[in-house]
Amino acid sequence: MSADTAAPVRTPVRPAGYRVVRVGKRGRFLVHRRAGLVAAALTVVLAAVCVAYLCVGESFVAPAEAVRVVLGQPSPDELVVGTLRLPRMVVGLLVGTAFGIAGALIQTVARNPLASPDIIGISQGASALTVGAMTFGLTSYTVLPYLSVVGGVAAAGLVYAFAWRGGLHATRFVLIGIGFAIALRSVTTLFLTKGDYLVAQQAQIWMTGSLNGRGWDEAAPIGWALLVLLPAVLWAARAQRTVSMDDDTATALGVRLGRVRLGLVALGVVLASVATGTAGPVDFVALLAPQIARRMTRTAQIPLLCSALLGAVIVVFADLLARRLFSPTELPVGVLTAAVGAPYLIWLIIRGHGGRAGGNA
Amino acid sequence: MTTTRTENGATSRLAAHSLTLAYDDRTVVHELDLAVPDGCVTVIVGPNACGKSTTLRALGRLLKPAGGSVLLDGTELSRIPTRTIAQSVGLLPQTPVAPEAITVSDLVARGRQPHQRWWQQWSDEDERAVTEAMERTDVTALGDRPVDELSGGQRQRVWIAMALAQDTDLLLLDEPTTYLDIAHQVEVLDLVRRLAAPAADGTRGRTVVTVLHDLNQAARYADHLVAMKEGRIVAEGRPGDVVTAGLVREVFGLEAVVVPDPVTGSPLVVPGAPWAPAPAGPTG
Repeated sequence: MSADTAAPVRTPVRPAGYRVVRVGKRGRFLVHRRAGLVAAALTVVLAAVCVAYLCVGESFVAPAEAVRVVLGQPSPDELVVGTLRLPRMVVGLLVGTAFGIAGALIQTVARNPLASPDIIGISQGASALTVGAMTFGLTSYTVLPYLSVVGGVAAAGLVYAFAWRGGLHATRFVLIGIGFAIALRSVTTLFLTKGDYLVAQQAQIWMTGSLNGRGWDEAAPIGWALLVLLPAVLWAARAQRTVSMDDDTATALGVRLGRVRLGLVALGVVLASVATGTAGPVDFVALLAPQIARRMTRTAQIPLLCSALLGAVIVVFADLLARRLFSPTELPVGVLTAAVGAPYLIWLIIRGHGGRAGGNA
Repeated sequence: MTTTRTENGATSRLAAHSLTLAYDDRTVVHELDLAVPDGCVTVIVGPNACGKSTTLRALGRLLKPAGGSVLLDGTELSRIPTRTIAQSVGLLPQTPVAPEAITVSDLVARGRQPHQRWWQQWSDEDERAVTEAMERTDVTALGDRPVDELSGGQRQRVWIAMALAQDTDLLLLDEPTTYLDIAHQVEVLDLVRRLAAPAADGTRGRTVVTVLHDLNQAARYADHLVAMKEGRIVAEGRPGDVVTAGLVREVFGLEAVVVPDPVTGSPLVVPGAPWAPAPAGPTG
């Protein structure tokens, strides 16, 4: 051993709380340890909630039988579990996942926990166009979800354009969004009062967000949308790291901030709009899931995977309660998520967290 | 690749040519020419609103020129991908904001962003650069602490560590001593000096451009001093040549006496007028 190598022994520094995971020869990924554990725990909880969802109902089915049906094995409970409960549960799962991701992305870009698609006008845009179409006699459930996507994306585009001032101003984005939400809600009300009584009632139920009567036909489009957008979501999970810094620092680090933000918002808006088109605006899921997930993982940015899992848990569990709480009357799932979400929103505002970087609170 | 040379013959990778900068309709900097000498500490000074921070922002492509250009290695900044610029030029804004609850080592590691890919989020090179940056700024022991909980001086060192981890030849610092007490100011400026010092093997140190409020600190720490007033350069050169009573009067409108600094011998500006202690004896 030569004397030259007697340099002081260094402890190499790695970002605290992260693990380096090697994939293949060149791939190296930073994984937040606590977020990984939380994701694993949430997966277990989600599986448990899903089994409970399939078992509980008008008639109780043993968990083992429910699992057999899901695995495609012959079972006497095929009809109840496989035909009635499973498709509706899958829709809830997908809708919750989409809202969870959408909320996380939009809150990250706006750096504000209030910036969720149901607060900044996306859900309201979807509602306005859908209800408008309904009152003008278009009630086909194969067309309405697509209209709702168009409405949501159009509303978000307007909000984004108005909030643009040589760059996206985060607070402006939220405030203008809230303004648009109010305006669009009154447009919806106008349609409702002008429209036929029966149509208005139908529209009202849709607007609360309901999984009632949803099945494989509704699960397919949103499932495909999530699958096709998966690469974009994976990109977004990494992009969140730099967008949560201030504008100047992010630019100095070589991030094309304008494009990255637009990409993140666009992805969030599309996911939120597709979810709204599938189940109606299920309020507060996109608001709650990312914030709770972040508190659980204690990461510097909103954890995308945990947020998605938590969104799914919330929607499936809320729909389970909505089906059984006042049985035989089924509540729309949105009533329950709103009952939990509204107090939380008030608490958020009372705590006075306006919005620093990273969608804090 | 063309290299610009400064007046006294030093090479310059970063330069501004008849650079005009404006916010909306208000022109803040007028046709400014500046060649940043390599391997030196360049300090820009001037009164409030003279355009010094604005100029620094333009050198770091945070502000697009309204006219003229900023050249990096002879190519206009606007023609270089921002990620490529980030591999050569590091920049610390005046008031950077960290994501809430982020730890020190996580923040410093984010300085590696321009060198990473989606599938390569942590290399040995990243680890070396981050470890070294944290050692140089003496924040290694703080690695696991949340940035929110640090004192002002510690936090500033962490931010500098992040910019250092970026591993760039050029480093732009926008008023790095603001909000710091005098001991921490000196600490940060000493660090800046060490960054520009040549390494033991003779390789050139980093090129640092910084904006400072305090003229005496500027005179003490700069190799190259740039004095600005109303969006124009009034004088530039070695502090000993540039800082005179006449310049202080012209730039700051202040009557002053310039004496040699008792410690370093660099020019020390002592304000003389308009206030002077009254002659002995009770007054009024």
